[in-house]
Amino acid sequence: MTAAGAPPGSLEELATRPGHETVLAALARRSLIGISVAFLAALLLAPLAVVFATAFRGGLQVYLQAFADPDTQAAIRLTLLTALVAVPVNTVFGLSAAWAIAKFDFRGKSLLITLIDLPIAISPVISGMLFVLLFGMRGWFGAWLAANGISIVFAIPGIMLATLFVTFPYVARELIPLMQQLGNDEEEAAITLGAGAWMTFFRVTLPKIRWGLLYGVILCNARAMGEFGAVSVVSGHIRGLTNTMPLAIEALYNDYDFTGAFAVASLLTLLAVATLVLKSLVERSGYRRR
Amino acid sequence: MREGQPTVLPGFGLTLGFTTFFLSAVVLLPLAALALLAASTPLHELLDAVASPRALASYRLSFGGALLAACINLVFGFIIAWTLARYDFPGRKLMDAMIDLPFALPTAVSGIALTAVFATNGWLGRYLEMAGIHVAYTRLGVILAMTLIGMPFAVRTVQPALLEVQRDLEDAAETLGAGRWYVFRRVIVPAVLPAILTGFTLAFARALGEYGSVIFISGNLPMKTEITPLLIVIHLEEFDYRGAAALGFVMLAASFVILLTINLLQAWGRDRMVRRGQ
Amino acid sequence: MSITLDQLTKRYQGIPVVNDVSLEIGDGEFFVLLGPSGSGKSTLLRSIAGLSGLDHGRIALHGRDVTHVAARRRGVGLVFQNYALFRHMTVAENIEFALRVRHVRAAERRRRRQELLRLVALEGMDERLPAQLSGGQQQRVAVARALAHKPEVLLLDEPFGALDAKIREGLRRTIREVQRELGITTVLVTHDQEEAFAMADKIGVMNFGRLLESGRPQDLYTRPVTRFVATFLGAANLILARQGTDGPRWGARSPGLHCPATPIGRREREVVAVVRPEEIEIARSHEELVSSDYLGRGVVEEVLFTGALERARIRLDEAPDAPILAHGNPDGAVLLEATRAQFEQRAFAIGPGQEVTIGVRRAHVLPTPLSSFTVCASNASAAERLAGHPLLLDLSSRMKTRIRRHLEPALGASAPSRETAASLPGTTVIAAHRDVASDATWLLEQGVEEILILPEHASSPRRVLIHWTDESARRATLAASASVLRHLAAEAIYVGVLPEKAAAAERSFSIRDLLDARSEARIAHGLEIRTELRFGVAAQALTQLLDESPGHMLIVGITSGTQLAGELAALLANPQWPVLLVHRRHEALAHSRSAA
Repeated sequence: MTAAGAPPGSLEELATRPGHETVLAALARRSLIGISVAFLAALLLAPLAVVFATAFRGGLQVYLQAFADPDTQAAIRLTLLTALVAVPVNTVFGLSAAWAIAKFDFRGKSLLITLIDLPIAISPVISGMLFVLLFGMRGWFGAWLAANGISIVFAIPGIMLATLFVTFPYVARELIPLMQQLGNDEEEAAITLGAGAWMTFFRVTLPKIRWGLLYGVILCNARAMGEFGAVSVVSGHIRGLTNTMPLAIEALYNDYDFTGAFAVASLLTLLAVATLVLKSLVERSGYRRR
Repeated sequence: MREGQPTVLPGFGLTLGFTTFFLSAVVLLPLAALALLAASTPLHELLDAVASPRALASYRLSFGGALLAACINLVFGFIIAWTLARYDFPGRKLMDAMIDLPFALPTAVSGIALTAVFATNGWLGRYLEMAGIHVAYTRLGVILAMTLIGMPFAVRTVQPALLEVQRDLEDAAETLGAGRWYVFRRVIVPAVLPAILTGFTLAFARALGEYGSVIFISGNLPMKTEITPLLIVIHLEEFDYRGAAALGFVMLAASFVILLTINLLQAWGRDRMVRRGQ
Repeated sequence: MSITLDQLTKRYQGIPVVNDVSLEIGDGEFFVLLGPSGSGKSTLLRSIAGLSGLDHGRIALHGRDVTHVAARRRGVGLVFQNYALFRHMTVAENIEFALRVRHVRAAERRRRRQELLRLVALEGMDERLPAQLSGGQQQRVAVARALAHKPEVLLLDEPFGALDAKIREGLRRTIREVQRELGITTVLVTHDQEEAFAMADKIGVMNFGRLLESGRPQDLYTRPVTRFVATFLGAANLILARQGTDGPRWGARSPGLHCPATPIGRREREVVAVVRPEEIEIARSHEELVSSDYLGRGVVEEVLFTGALERARIRLDEAPDAPILAHGNPDGAVLLEATRAQFEQRAFAIGPGQEVTIGVRRAHVLPTPLSSFTVCASNASAAERLAGHPLLLDLSSRMKTRIRRHLEPALGASAPSRETAASLPGTTVIAAHRDVASDATWLLEQGVEEILILPEHASSPRRVLIHWTDESARRATLAASASVLRHLAAEAIYVGVLPEKAAAAERSFSIRDLLDARSEARIAHGLEIRTELRFGVAAQALTQLLDESPGHMLIVGITSGTQLAGELAALLANPQWPVLLVHRRHEALAHSRSAA
């Protein structure tokens, strides 16, 4: 047992410092905490609560009734399908991009990085619009697609593409700085010891990056399931066919079926909460962003 | 690793190839389409779309509102970041985790939820109505939604910067005779200024392009509460691809300027206080 | 007096980090607080600066009580280990910071800044940013900044830690010169003993939150009072010797040694002697020892050439009369460290495996009473269990002393054994159980003077209670307590007990005794203790205090074994805390009580 004391400059030391706890300081502290709590309560807590309050306004039966609607069920299925496609594809992309960027030097690397950051910087509506411009009826490929009976815009493939576009940066953006920070030493050691490419990746790299990977996947999934703007532009809003859950919410809301809209919203809210919980668990395991 | 030198690590061709292919297909191609379309539009059509009164009104709302929202986030974001970084109180960890809610929550959900809370008979809206403040279906509502969506950026950029300000500096300033307010003004704020500005810019960028959270609470009255992204959607629904593309171009240009500003800010912040391998 | 610290105590999670530190530093003095990490020296410095609060005690700067004064009003200058320069300000702005706060005009600020830059030899660097300076330059800016507002006291918290050796030396000289030129009272905290010697007018050595000794570097080096200071200030061989009425001796020889003026006890006692490696002479045989007294023979284990000096490690021969090194493994084979200058190497070269004769030029006997531990139990397994007790292992490794084992099947029996006292040197350790009082009484009859009673689950104590049944046991008990407390991070409280119905006169005598006890502890042993007065029966009052919270230890001084069975019986009925019994026969008191 040593006599090691409170770390210098820690909150504990601060608490005992002479002249530290003045009336003014206490007042300032209380006010700031109060303001923060009030601000967040109004902007975050209240909306969160209102989702569930409205969804359950008519009681449990009415709540469950909302999910019996076939259009709603189709929307849920479509959302899940979209996530099921977008997340794995973007994970592979993210791993691939991070490997290329973190481990090698090449011309155009910064351009690549900027391009990867792009979808996050532009409005989701514009993201969706880009695909309409490409594949819409009057788009670049519009004529060719119509001639061959393939529909992308106003159909599921379009939704997939738009979701892919807006969610692909998430995994990459988590992994690139992480892998840059972790360096190449271990992988180089593995190679010199005779390991092949895939073995190096699975045995050496993957374990190192697993928390960052998980973090990126969680964020990617949340965005994939919740994307509204981009998908809205591309989908065509065909109930039962090209409506994802967020679009179904909009449809129900515009029909003044508030309980229905909020019921579906409650599912997505639970997803959001689960995402936050998973995020804090990952952070608690020691993974700190950048 | 020098360029051109044979590297030990495998996978360069495979990963770079796949990455480039993916990006080309998903990003470059659509962008090219946009650029080409805009380029092939006759000028007067472009101007019609971009400078019509309705478009101008939407710019005022989108840009102006985003700016105001970013300012609100500047102030409150700093307060929240300060509170989280410096004070301990029951529920702090929960509050910290909740800051990321706007990140995780689908925009449509926050849109209808905000509307429900601030509508005339909403939980908070009813009290505001009594004070004569209308939120739903007004510009105020738009700004509110923009504030919500940008808040995590304002907090999450400032929070680590505040934590990073070495305790030593404040202690040193105190032994040199500085009171708390002096330390705040002259020592802390200059140190976190780049982060504050970055947060402001990020919040602004996000609010500018926001669609889902805003369209429910705004009411979408043309010339009054219509945001630019919605105008783009309307053009698309009318199959006016050119008009939509032109407007999209305006917004993209704004986004690039903002991105550039962010990068410059971050570089400035680094230069001011270069950390020498500490 | 420039800085006065009075009984400063700071606790962190119940453990005293700064433990009753009292100190006076004179005007213009360069004082170095030296100690290992975790010894509380940084916390002490920060308390003086006002960055850390205190749980107890007073701080006065130039006669002004600043205990509750905020840091910014204390008029101190503090230099941090990591410089803590304001990175967004230039050198000039950094230095002028304190002046700006005080609304000094620009012209005056500039003048002072130039003065300070000249002082620290950084002229011309005004407009540089800290990031553009080297570590040494940054530290000099930090010093200049701390001096700008003409503080009364300059404090430095391990300022050279982050720099490499050459720069460190240069900075040391700079700071010393600056300090002399300004005549400012300075306190520097470091764990580097060489640095302390190079810079200090006076050194204060800290360990476990206590200020163990303070004094001039030469005095602390040649005449340390405690084991810790002896070994911390330089390499030291600690050798167990026996001190009889005719002086100390090793084995059967009696070399001339420096020893304290008064022998501690009448009997032959085991003591610890400090022999510095440079005071050891190595020769071929007894006759060839030129400048030293004979110690013994040994075999050279290892020889290291380090340029100016040669370091040798020698295994002493084992023989019944051979000297024993205090620190080491039970089988007694420990290595003696010796340092020899070039001319000695030339006179007599040595190599590994060689048999040599060892002589001692100068040894210093430490006045500490606790020399080593001897575990005493009735059977081998109990002895081993006791010898492995965590608290005992902890204490013995910190005190750098050995644990011997001694089997006494007759422990507790009434038949006395002739040789026992001789085979129980040092402090005897026994296990606690219901009838431990009779074990202890038996040992006392054999002539043992210190007994440590260890219950099975005793942890490192946070508070040590001290008590004696009679004033004549005071001196020895305080000496033993001081020795123990130097190696524990624990607070010390002397508990005086008066009978319930004590008259007012009795009470005032007792209070005077408390004060006497405290001053004796401080003056004779450098130990700061608190005092408390309780009423009732000693055993009960003490038990009540001991039971208040876990982590206690009791040190009690007695003058006769009967007290164990009598007054203190309740205390020793299966104690749950470690108890150290200190026994000296009733000595004539040096003072007498006068009525009224």
